[in-house]
Amino acid sequence: MVAASPAAAPPRVRKTSRKRPLMRRELLIGILFVLPGLALAILFKLVPLIRGFVLSLYETRGFEDPTFAGLANYRRMIADPAVADSFRNALVAFATLPVWIVLPLVLAFLIFQRSPGWTIFRAAFFLPYMIAPIVVGIMFRQILAPEGPLNALLTAVGLAPLAIEWLNGPTSALLSLTAVALWSFFGLGVLTYLSGLATLSEEVLEAARLDGAGFWRMLVSIVIPLLKPVIGYWTVLCTSGILIWMFPLIYALTRGGPGSATVLPEYLVFTTTFQFLDRGTGAAIGMALFVFVALVSALVVKRMYAEGKAKAR
Amino acid sequence: MTMIETTGRLRGLLRGLSLACAGLALAATLQGAVAEEVTTIRVLNWEPGGTKYWTELVAAFEKANPDVKVELETVPFDRYPEVQGPYITTKSGPDVMENNAGLELFDRRVAYEPLPADVLDEAKAQLITYSGGCLGFDTTKTCYGLPFGYQGNVMYYNKAVLKEAGLDPANPPKTWDEMDAACAKVKAIGKTCLALGLSGIFPAYWDFPEIARNYLTEEDMRAMLSGGLPWTDPKMVNVLKGLASITEKGWANASAPSITMLPDGADIFQSGNAAFAGTIISDAVNWSAFGAALGDENVGAMRWPTLVADAPLAQSFSGIESSVFGVTSWSSKKEAAFKFVKFMASTENATLLSTVAGGISLNKNVDPASLPKSEALSQILEIIKKPTLHSGVLLSGQEADALARGWQEVALGRLTVDDWTARMQAALEASPSKR
Repeated sequence: MVAASPAAAPPRVRKTSRKRPLMRRELLIGILFVLPGLALAILFKLVPLIRGFVLSLYETRGFEDPTFAGLANYRRMIADPAVADSFRNALVAFATLPVWIVLPLVLAFLIFQRSPGWTIFRAAFFLPYMIAPIVVGIMFRQILAPEGPLNALLTAVGLAPLAIEWLNGPTSALLSLTAVALWSFFGLGVLTYLSGLATLSEEVLEAARLDGAGFWRMLVSIVIPLLKPVIGYWTVLCTSGILIWMFPLIYALTRGGPGSATVLPEYLVFTTTFQFLDRGTGAAIGMALFVFVALVSALVVKRMYAEGKAKAR
Repeated sequence: MTMIETTGRLRGLLRGLSLACAGLALAATLQGAVAEEVTTIRVLNWEPGGTKYWTELVAAFEKANPDVKVELETVPFDRYPEVQGPYITTKSGPDVMENNAGLELFDRRVAYEPLPADVLDEAKAQLITYSGGCLGFDTTKTCYGLPFGYQGNVMYYNKAVLKEAGLDPANPPKTWDEMDAACAKVKAIGKTCLALGLSGIFPAYWDFPEIARNYLTEEDMRAMLSGGLPWTDPKMVNVLKGLASITEKGWANASAPSITMLPDGADIFQSGNAAFAGTIISDAVNWSAFGAALGDENVGAMRWPTLVADAPLAQSFSGIESSVFGVTSWSSKKEAAFKFVKFMASTENATLLSTVAGGISLNKNVDPASLPKSEALSQILEIIKKPTLHSGVLLSGQEADALARGWQEVALGRLTVDDWTARMQAALEASPSKR
């Protein structure tokens, strides 16, 4: 055994030395592929984030040069009821997430099943997503006005009690804003789910049909379990949509009003920074929003990743 | 043809070609020299007075200054801060910028080059006033920009609606009680009495000063500017109560808490569905725009009705130089940029403003005969004869925001004036420019 070992060793050494350059080359190619993306992420994500954090530690008076203030902006932010209100509003908006997930799924499955008029609906559902959010906001500001067309229609069809002041109530304004955002965004969800549905095995669906499964049974027992990774992906998109992509709608629809009923943290960052010229506090609110969104998204991503892994096994 | 003749002709041809080449080269050099002398300046603006006026303004300036070319960067008024803010923080961008006179300009003064002596001399020679471009509204202090038009608040009324409601268009309401009675009649015919939008900065700029004139003196307003007049002062509380009474009395449209005055509120008036609208004399939604929409014969202009008829400023006009134009501190083309600022204050531009945009100029040398004929304009020219400070431009961003949001909630019955007062005081204390 002892004598045999040195004799067997050289080929092993040669094999390793052949592999190493190959591995190094592969590693190099891998790094080269990753590098542009990494550079972009550092330049446009990490650097602004760090700069934002640094700015949040400075007191800014208008456009004068900032002075170091430690955590003063964070203390001011915590003491400001407007900040708490905006995060409370964000949580209320976030509570509508199940609707954002389920509604497009149901509609996508209806289209997938070739329900009557499915071609028209497929195009019609995606249309709102093609309209710029700022235009959607202006449009719905007119539609949802107390004397606007929606209330006129409700009154005309005998539903006058439902003809409320959509944008004037503290809860109704926030829910109206969220509903308008959903209207604008759900078409993308339908399309996303349709892409996922196209990958499902026709045999499985056919078997379920032959077993007598109806629309809801198939949706709950077949489609949802098989589409979990797609649902997870859509959930992450919706989470960020609700928490950080509502600005143009708020701007065009309510300007955060009435009062602060529809002020979300991202809108507060804008008003604090550009309207109040308090860039330091604006950056502090931005950092708090970043942490909030990161935590919520991490939970969702973790769930999606777990589902993805489970499916792979 | 001999060899000598041929050679001679060739020489002549070559000489001619050489001369032609030299001529072309000289022309190209001269053209290059001329091109090099033309300086292009970029002007950030929100196009006060409209596109047509700005097109003619730029053409007139370039004709008078062939060595300067103007490139406009036009941004809607309500999006202006978000575009200008990054330019200022990064100290880069346009050569000339626009801001509202008063606190808005003072807050951004680090971005502006102080006006040199020759520009100030031009201002003194041409303008009725330019104090809104100078620190603390004081022309002995540093000045950062020159105004061109006169701006301020009046209340417009639709004569046809007043007539329909059984009111006398020749005698619009002068007091708060008369306004209340008029509104009852207007509402009886199913129309809005006062077109109002409470989102954004409009309540601060267009409504607040008109109530404030009933309770504040010019000294009080200067104290406001320096942060020396708290919102808990009974005078300031009365101003808030006056604003609250507009919506409490039901004068305004139900949509007021959720719409902006420009364009939504103004649209209600322009469409003939409201009797009154409190807007401005120049730029947009003025006598000219309303005249074009409703017919000049149907538009009248008046002071806002008074709450305290014998208040010192009750019969005054809340006037302010309109926006001012200044040269950015980072501009590398300051000489050309100051030429543009001087031109903004010139008689030539003043005439354009009046004739093309229907604006009211601050230039004291403009020919009155060049002004358009309009009854509303004539009424405005009378009203502005007794000016006072415009208290709206003395509010900080925080105060203007709290004023609008508070009024929205008061209008919806969800906030008391006392709580609104407390919020306004908090906003004052949080204002960097007034700390």
